[in-house]
Amino acid sequence: MAKPIQLSPKDMINAYLLFFVVHGAQIGVGIQGFQRIIYQDARQDAWISVLLAGIATHLVTFCMIKTLEIYGSDDLYGIQIDIFGKWIGNFLNAIYVIYCSVAFFSVLRNYIEVIQAWIFPSIETWFLSATLLIIIIYAFTGGLRVIVGVSFFSIILSLWIFPMLVFPMEYATVDSLLPILENDIRSILKGAQSMTFTIIGFEILNVIYPFVKDKKKIRKPVHLGLLVTTIIYLAVMLVSIAYYSEGKLLKTIWATLTLFSFISFPFMERFEFVAVCFWMLIILPNLCLYLWAAYRGAIRLFPISEKTFVWLFSFIVLIGTLLVQTRTQINTINTVFGQIAFYVIFVYPILLWPIARLKKNFASKKVKKNE
Amino acid sequence: MILLSFVFLYGCAQTNILDKVGLTTLVGYDVGTEDKIKTTAVIREVNPEFQSNVEVLSTENDTSKGNRMEANRKLSKKIMVGQMRVILFGEELAKKDLRYYIDTNLENASVSNGIFMAIVEGETETLLKYEYQNIEDIGQHIFRLIEQNVKQEYMISSTLHQIAHDYYSSGKEFAMPIIKRDDELVELSGIALFKGSKMVSTLPAKDSFYVKIVRDTFKVGLYETVLENEDVPSEILQKPANKITVAFDAIQSKREMMLVDADTPTFDLNIKIKSRVLEVYPDINQGDPKSVAALEKAIEKKLSKEIRRVIAHSQEVESDIFGFGEKYRSEVRHSKLTKDKWQKIYKDMKVNVHVDFTILRDGVFE
Amino acid sequence: MKFKLPFNKQQQQPVQEAPKENLVRVAHATDHFIQSIKNATNNPADLIVKYLPPNVTLIYIDNLIDDQTLNNDIIANLQSKPHDTPEAIEMALSIAEVSQSSLLRETVELMVNGHVVIHIGGFPQTILANIASRESRALSAPENESQVIGTQVGFNESLSTNISLIRRYIVSPNLCNEKVKIGTRTSTSVSLLYMRGIANDQMVQTMRQRIKDLYIDELIDSAVLAEMIDDNSLSVFPQMLLTERPDRFCDGILDGKIGVLVDGSSMAIVSPQGFTEFFQSQEDQNLRWQIATFLRLLRLAAFFLSVYLTPFYVAALTFHYEVIPQAFLVPLSESRALVPFPPIFEALLLEFIIELLREAGARLPTKIGQTIGIVGGIVIGTAAVQAGITSNILLIIIALSALASFTSPSYMMGNVIRLIRFPIIILAGFWGFYGIMLAFCFILIHLLRQSSLGAPYMSPFYPPRLKEMRDSIIRMPVPLTSKRPALTRPKDEHKFVPEPVKPDKS
Repeated sequence: MAKPIQLSPKDMINAYLLFFVVHGAQIGVGIQGFQRIIYQDARQDAWISVLLAGIATHLVTFCMIKTLEIYGSDDLYGIQIDIFGKWIGNFLNAIYVIYCSVAFFSVLRNYIEVIQAWIFPSIETWFLSATLLIIIIYAFTGGLRVIVGVSFFSIILSLWIFPMLVFPMEYATVDSLLPILENDIRSILKGAQSMTFTIIGFEILNVIYPFVKDKKKIRKPVHLGLLVTTIIYLAVMLVSIAYYSEGKLLKTIWATLTLFSFISFPFMERFEFVAVCFWMLIILPNLCLYLWAAYRGAIRLFPISEKTFVWLFSFIVLIGTLLVQTRTQINTINTVFGQIAFYVIFVYPILLWPIARLKKNFASKKVKKNE
Repeated sequence: MILLSFVFLYGCAQTNILDKVGLTTLVGYDVGTEDKIKTTAVIREVNPEFQSNVEVLSTENDTSKGNRMEANRKLSKKIMVGQMRVILFGEELAKKDLRYYIDTNLENASVSNGIFMAIVEGETETLLKYEYQNIEDIGQHIFRLIEQNVKQEYMISSTLHQIAHDYYSSGKEFAMPIIKRDDELVELSGIALFKGSKMVSTLPAKDSFYVKIVRDTFKVGLYETVLENEDVPSEILQKPANKITVAFDAIQSKREMMLVDADTPTFDLNIKIKSRVLEVYPDINQGDPKSVAALEKAIEKKLSKEIRRVIAHSQEVESDIFGFGEKYRSEVRHSKLTKDKWQKIYKDMKVNVHVDFTILRDGVFE
Repeated sequence: MKFKLPFNKQQQQPVQEAPKENLVRVAHATDHFIQSIKNATNNPADLIVKYLPPNVTLIYIDNLIDDQTLNNDIIANLQSKPHDTPEAIEMALSIAEVSQSSLLRETVELMVNGHVVIHIGGFPQTILANIASRESRALSAPENESQVIGTQVGFNESLSTNISLIRRYIVSPNLCNEKVKIGTRTSTSVSLLYMRGIANDQMVQTMRQRIKDLYIDELIDSAVLAEMIDDNSLSVFPQMLLTERPDRFCDGILDGKIGVLVDGSSMAIVSPQGFTEFFQSQEDQNLRWQIATFLRLLRLAAFFLSVYLTPFYVAALTFHYEVIPQAFLVPLSESRALVPFPPIFEALLLEFIIELLREAGARLPTKIGQTIGIVGGIVIGTAAVQAGITSNILLIIIALSALASFTSPSYMMGNVIRLIRFPIIILAGFWGFYGIMLAFCFILIHLLRQSSLGAPYMSPFYPPRLKEMRDSIIRMPVPLTSKRPALTRPKDEHKFVPEPVKPDKS
């Protein structure tokens, strides 16, 4: 077996914090406008797609944890090298690092697009991207403890947004949800697949696993985190379907933000303007965790210091955000990335588990024979 | 430091300082000459004399944004639409097509989804440009007028969200209030019925109660009706009269729409109203349970008659403002309902109206 | 990006060979001895040399000793009968702290500390009697941390008085007191206090090490010491509490914290300290829990209000006019109409004026300070609005946030609140809500990165310890808070055995 990662207890995190890590990594830019993408396929049964996607995350996570448990205290990068050997393993690791980087990039670029579309049409992309990157670098250099802390506070401090869903209920009609299961199962499944881009994030588990103190206790917080995410997506989806009519939902790009548009308080109107800016706190754990995951993989591939890596990475991302200019390009990236992510996140771990088991059995037999 | 100042200089966002912008509170659209859009905007400006003055500007251009630019050229302040509260359409324009206006306002992120839309009898320009004696800010006034009436449930609500919702729904048409100038005042005069994005008919303001009661459930709504002699059993009258005027406010209403036959289609419309009688003229004996029951019956009868009339009218013009189509879509599997399809079906739809009217209490003096 | 300050590290002390003067012995002959003392102390004007025939010499510094004790307990005893040997004299003195020394340097050091040097001609030793008396003011009520209910006594500048105050609160042999001298020139006494059996050994060791590693030549106040031994001295947020209340100090020590007292300073250092604890007042413990909870929530709200209200105003007026409710729109824009500046400049100007008033009020004598505060506030406020350089709504907002910033029980944290407002206003003025959020995220991450004596600064929120939130932003009834905070990693976790709130009346 490859050398397990040596960690000092100070870098370790408690198992229950995984709830915040998983949940924080899942909720991000996707929730702002995932409704219409699912709705295109599954119509008023889109909520079933969300539910199915939620169940799928539980299954995949189950496999992931099983795979990780075989190796005890190693992350996906180590497991891949062990199973596939140095060359293929490193190749797969490189793919995973690139995957994390693209995820990071996609979250960042989508958020910038939202800011530009809603609030500051005139503000430059490079500026938004640079300011966000500086914040992320600051969090990243604080180490895993700070990153997990950011996830924690991001969730705690955004709890108040969830009850805001009550406001649109005033205009909601339950009839919009009916008839249930009118669409065939294929389109519902297709809708569930479209959820990929929105629901991913829990794969961070693959990388963070060695850093957890009591590894036996991780199931509960992880699955709870997935469950809460599913519930939130489901609630948002149900409210959206009931609030919008079919044609309007298809035409609304950021349906969740538009939901907030007529919420007003005696001291403030147009709640979505605050929400859009506040979303920065919600995407922060996304970005930090992906960056961190990419870093964990990168140090396996080539020796690089944390500082060099983060500055190099940020620089490349900054250039990247400048190259992607239009909404069409962003949407293309989202779609392509969503499809790739589907295979990386939902298909691959399920395949990896039996392979890891076989390998393990094979290895233990070999040891016995040698004895 | 240099880097920082560089960032501050180049990264600065475009400002919209409150007192440097002219806030459009109301926009009216009319048909202009040669297919152009004629826009009348009510713009509130603040000047250093601690007074805000209201400008009413009319411009004509090909697009609404072009109109904004033209208006900008006439004012000292940048015109912004983020505080817009009402959009008005001229009657003529509404009869042509409103689709463009709905879409363009949905697209604009700074336009709230909660703004009201209404139709003006005649031209918006003449309504807005009239020098009202007691109305200082016509934009504000019309907003308050509509808002107040919607809150009191006297008038159907027509926010941009609701309009867009109904417009993009396959089984519902939208409706808007109609306003007109009445001498020195502005009044809500009726409801405009739409088919697609074209206005096809109107209903008088009095009928808004029936429209509301079928469209949605509500809490407080004052209503007055005249019961014809033939509807009222004579025994409850203390002295003979030709008609009875009843005023009540519906404390709670609940409507239930049921599809009983998908082929024709036929709907059952059950409406339950719990109300408080405010006024009955001439007087009847309200202490007597029998006469109260009779009065309830009479009102039920009257209400169902009126509701049937309103629905029939909307069927005639193929404008399903009540959302029967949505019900149809949600009940009939694989209906593949489209707007056109429903408009045809709606014409021949049958509705059985049942009203259940309960008088909970009257005032404090019998 | 962890910043370390040079004095936090162990500086390579120049390895000195013990200079010869350290080993110089006390001379036998009286004349020699006196001369050597005079040389060593640069012959100050207050050096008194007194001969007691036949061969005894008393040397002391006039301003450091207690004259009465000198007369009654030393001179009287020495005069009553002659003594020949140092031992005999040591026996004869009715003073508690008497020692002998044969080294000149030691003698001089103790003399400077308030000992009387007794030298007997012919003996190479001196007898040192401690009769030091330090001028210090009487105990008075703590002025900066006053509270309505609770003890009305504060630390003063004398280390021994302060320790006696603490000993009065904690009558226990487990109260450890370690003395360290800091400063090569001032040689200030620093006391490290903690409870054995509660305080975490590792933390005590860290604290001791940090203090001992300091290589500085002067230490005047404990605030300086606190800055030097902070985990991150460059952060604007204080990581150790400075308090002048002995009750707060003792409460901290009993929770397993470590206290540091500096001679000559009326402020004591308590560490480790979490961020939220800066918003708690000792008074909270003395009030009913509902009221204390309300006050704590009030202070927390005041913190957010103070930091974010003005930026919110600036952002809304500069960029996001859409969020202003219609009812506010007219008053806001009308009050802004005369103001020639953009909102950011207007806000910064007013904040600046308020800070000026505060600073002037703090520097001037109390009576004038109050007058200046009121006059300045009213005159400048009214005049500014009438002259049209600010809007009156902003005036209210600024005054409110200034007021809110003073609710923080810790003066240090209050300063932080006032300071961090400025960058946030600037960010809000340039990038609206986006700028505010940037600042918010930055502060959040910054706070998460800090630690206090190695313990997480954001505790008990992060790492989340649900049970301890009982006594953080809310204060649960005392019977429910039987555990010590885990922030200090105490050895003994329980303050008392939790019992039912109301034992059944028999």
